[in-house]
Amino acid sequence: MRWLALLLSGAWLVEPALAVFADDAFQIDHHVPLLGLPQSHTTFFHQPYAKSKASLLYTLSDKAVLGAINPRDGAIVWRQALAGPANSSNIFLRAGDGQDVVVSGVNNNIAAWAASDGRLIWSRNLGNALVHDLEIIELPDAKGNGDVLILYNDGHPVVQRLDGGSGNVKWEYIDKTGDNAFQVSTSSAHVYLISFHKAIMSGLKIRVTSLDQLTGRETDAQSLSSESDVTSPEQILYVGANSASPLIAWTDKANKALKVNILGTKTIVNLPINNSDEDDSPAITLHAPHRSTALTHFLVHYQSARSHWADVYHVNLAKSTISKAYSLPKLAGQGAFSCSTVDANVFFTRVTESEMILVSSASHGVLGRWPLAKTQSPLLPLRVTAEVAALSSSSYPTRAAVLSSNGEWTLLRNGDVSWTRPEYLTGVITATFVDLPEEQGLVHELELEGHQNALAAYVHRLTRHVNDLKALPSWLQSLPKTFMGSKSGIADSPQKDKFGFRKYIILALEDGRIAALDTTNPTSVLWSKRVLKLGPGERWSAPPELRASSRKPGIVEVWDKAAGRPIELEVETGIEAELPDSPVLGEHQGFTFELADNTIHAFSPSGHSNGAVSSSTWKFMVRTGDRIVGVAARPVNDPVASIGKVLGDRRVLYKYLDPNIALVSSVNDATGSLTVHLLDTVSGTTLHSVSYLGVDTTRTIASTVAENWFAYSFTLDDSASGSSRGHQIVISEMYESPVPNDRGPLGDASNYSSLGIDGGSQPVVPHVISQTFHIPEEIQYMTVTRTRQGITSRELLVTLADSHGIVAIPRQLLDARRPVGRDPTADEVAEGLVRYHPTLEFDPKWYLNHQREVLGVKEAITSPSNLESTSLVFAYGLDIFGTRVAPSFTFDVLGKGFNKLQMLATVAALGVGVIVVAPLVRRKQINQRWQISS
Amino acid sequence: MAGASHSPPPPPQWVLDLDSPPAPKQKAGSTPDPPGFSTASSTKRGSSKQQSSKDQPARKPPTPEEMDTLKVKKAWEVAIAPAKQLPMNAIGMYMTGNSLQIFSIMMVFMLFKTPITALMGLPNAFQRFESPGTKDKLLLVKLVYVLTNLLAVGLGLWKVGQMGLLPTTRSDWLAWEAAREPLERAYPIFGTGK
Repeated sequence: MRWLALLLSGAWLVEPALAVFADDAFQIDHHVPLLGLPQSHTTFFHQPYAKSKASLLYTLSDKAVLGAINPRDGAIVWRQALAGPANSSNIFLRAGDGQDVVVSGVNNNIAAWAASDGRLIWSRNLGNALVHDLEIIELPDAKGNGDVLILYNDGHPVVQRLDGGSGNVKWEYIDKTGDNAFQVSTSSAHVYLISFHKAIMSGLKIRVTSLDQLTGRETDAQSLSSESDVTSPEQILYVGANSASPLIAWTDKANKALKVNILGTKTIVNLPINNSDEDDSPAITLHAPHRSTALTHFLVHYQSARSHWADVYHVNLAKSTISKAYSLPKLAGQGAFSCSTVDANVFFTRVTESEMILVSSASHGVLGRWPLAKTQSPLLPLRVTAEVAALSSSSYPTRAAVLSSNGEWTLLRNGDVSWTRPEYLTGVITATFVDLPEEQGLVHELELEGHQNALAAYVHRLTRHVNDLKALPSWLQSLPKTFMGSKSGIADSPQKDKFGFRKYIILALEDGRIAALDTTNPTSVLWSKRVLKLGPGERWSAPPELRASSRKPGIVEVWDKAAGRPIELEVETGIEAELPDSPVLGEHQGFTFELADNTIHAFSPSGHSNGAVSSSTWKFMVRTGDRIVGVAARPVNDPVASIGKVLGDRRVLYKYLDPNIALVSSVNDATGSLTVHLLDTVSGTTLHSVSYLGVDTTRTIASTVAENWFAYSFTLDDSASGSSRGHQIVISEMYESPVPNDRGPLGDASNYSSLGIDGGSQPVVPHVISQTFHIPEEIQYMTVTRTRQGITSRELLVTLADSHGIVAIPRQLLDARRPVGRDPTADEVAEGLVRYHPTLEFDPKWYLNHQREVLGVKEAITSPSNLESTSLVFAYGLDIFGTRVAPSFTFDVLGKGFNKLQMLATVAALGVGVIVVAPLVRRKQINQRWQISS
Repeated sequence: MAGASHSPPPPPQWVLDLDSPPAPKQKAGSTPDPPGFSTASSTKRGSSKQQSSKDQPARKPPTPEEMDTLKVKKAWEVAIAPAKQLPMNAIGMYMTGNSLQIFSIMMVFMLFKTPITALMGLPNAFQRFESPGTKDKLLLVKLVYVLTNLLAVGLGLWKVGQMGLLPTTRSDWLAWEAAREPLERAYPIFGTGK
């Protein structure tokens, strides 16, 4: 019996392990690998190795993702997610000319990467200090490695020269004058440390310390009298580096003059700001070559609200003077410039909303002018990185990677769009699935028929079918195509999507826009619309709530917390829908609760926080010192097929299925404790509560609630005493009673109230059983698969930050009733329970992303499809990933192995056989009747 | 007259052959005669035996009372017959196990079919034993017959119960039980429940 049990449990174990089939991989899932918005100072074209003919486009984005892009097709050659949420002033990416490494600096980490394949060569951690600047010394050593200069502030500004091949420190210079470090710059001979010295009255004095490149000894120091103009480091416009004449530039207070100093000299050159416009303070950007062999020319770019223009200046090194060479004309709209070098020549690429212009720094003659094709949304260039190939004196093919203000990264090749990357999709903060309007329409019609009397419903159905006949010719035409090409199970047009795999995904982007994707092709954005005016760098104060409208199909409501009414958008077009009476905040059909200020506030159906305060029903506050790190509620629409769990002996353990429950997890940083509260959200009563000590409160605590169970994960503090280390997941199941065949105190009551309206004074407390498992990795976010009727078994979807994956853990294994310390009995085996094992390894087959590397995914949402077996999954955060999961296999749809042609051929062969045989049989039967058998 | 001098023609040879069969040959060696072959002597002996049995007096036909007793006896045998099958059926049922397989399902089906058809044919089963004298006695026999068949049905029920096909437990009625409906609903707002 025992071996039988083992065999059974073994056979059962194999089953849920097959999450992704080989023939489904790359068919049902979609992945958009992204980088983030490229920054102008960390994006460049560079040859991956010295003799390479083609160059790659390198960038370190605002999301601290380092990547190399093939400029030909926009595909990612390699990418690395660097640690840390970086602000753009603290990320650096440099590559020495002709060298095969790129060096990144993010927060406190310096790393060198092989330019061709992205392998780590060396890395250096600065501890608590943050890197302030990073430069590469152009003159390579014997091995061809350029040394790296870093500046960081470790109490004092520290400049270090690191060996390019190993990252070891060659020399170190510590500035003990008490200045604040700002930047480091190099010329062909010197290293300059730029720091700020607090002036006596106010303002900052710029101090330039010259260091010897070889020894790091201080050779000279200049103090520039900038205190009247500069009060904060942000006012410095530009510090050049790796140039024959590195510059530092700032403006005076009145914004009338541009002050430029050639590093190492004392003179400050006043250049008048060319502001003929009525606009009084245009934004100023400097562009200068980053190569010591290049000409010492630079460009000053002025951008006003309505137009932009530029001046080109030449630096005379011998005399240390700066003279204006020429001006580029003022053009309307937004523009961006890029400086690129070919040998010693310097070129400036100007990209405007309508054209791309190439000029040489030497003269104002236009070398190339390419009009841009008109697109639907105008290209508003924010940042440009260009590469010029000087083939001959008359031909200058240019390609420019342009980041436009809507977040698209486009490569223009002589004015033609080579590719566009939707990098703004890295900023998705929340998302929701919305059904197609057609599908909802059919559901509506069916509901209509359900509510009519039989005759009217029949007439209605008849007319509907007659109307459907109009689509018959086109359906017949598409029939062969359907038979031949039903590979992915998704039809081309929404009307034909019987399985409900096609839905819209509405996304809220952090820059205040709403965008829509299609689940069948999430690589292309259907539309995007700005619903909130936000300045650069501004974000939503709180994530908006996206909700499919209950009043009209195909409408999504965008609820911003600040506004009382939602913005209603049509999901197909993004056009604002005009519905007669749009709902106001608080018009939910029941109680509401929200998390604000470390407290959960609940409101009665009559109002909301914007309305009367008296409508508040309860508040849930955690102990002082605790902070709420997560609230998980049961999904609003969470159908459950069976209200009880059938035991092996055919008794029933009744599930506690209260839709009004929420799981609140709070941590205390001082004591390192995690407390999990299960709340009844109508009355605010705590139904269940558990505390854990020795929890690392800085790590993510993920939690979710579904059906009659909840799960949460946390990381144990490795400094705390305890027998256990690592990451844990807890699964808890709620039952109405610990006794089988018992429905608890409520008995057979068909409804109940948590508020004691019909007699009961307290909500019924569930019987909770839990089990804890060790897991190999920290869970970033968890959610549950959802199907139409809840018959299919569930899978817990968890996103993993460390292994860049999404894992579907079968619920059968995450069962709180697994027998501990003994083999399961025959009844338990019949129930599908396996012996408890304290560790839960993530089976490689559970990874929904299989071979793909899904980087930086923060959240995942699920939605039921029309097929009971299948749930749609969409994950976002940095990359965009969408797939379908069938936890109990696709039991309701024919597999891809089913040969429709063979079936048709068999039917046809049988038909032919019948036709051929029929006369023979008939003759035989007639003969039988007429002939007397002898 | 010449006609009067006519003597009857000699009988044909085959008549002669038939009248005088050849003398039995002496048996050569110990080869036995094939079965059913009767030599003249054995025929003669047999005929003599017949002769002797015929000589005995004819058996007395049974009286109606005796016939009735005989019929009741036979009827009892018929009534008890299903019970005699029971142990064998029980062993068979036990051996087939409780899993739902086509073989065990067929066996269980047969187990039900036999007694039920038997019960349906109850009047016919005892018709041949029916007589004015046995009528009263057959009543008890019929009752036992019904009981033994019901026993067989009971065995079938036991088997079906063992297979878990009888809705005797709570889980069998779970699908008809409804979830309790809450009178209030609470909804998370502004990303609280995510």
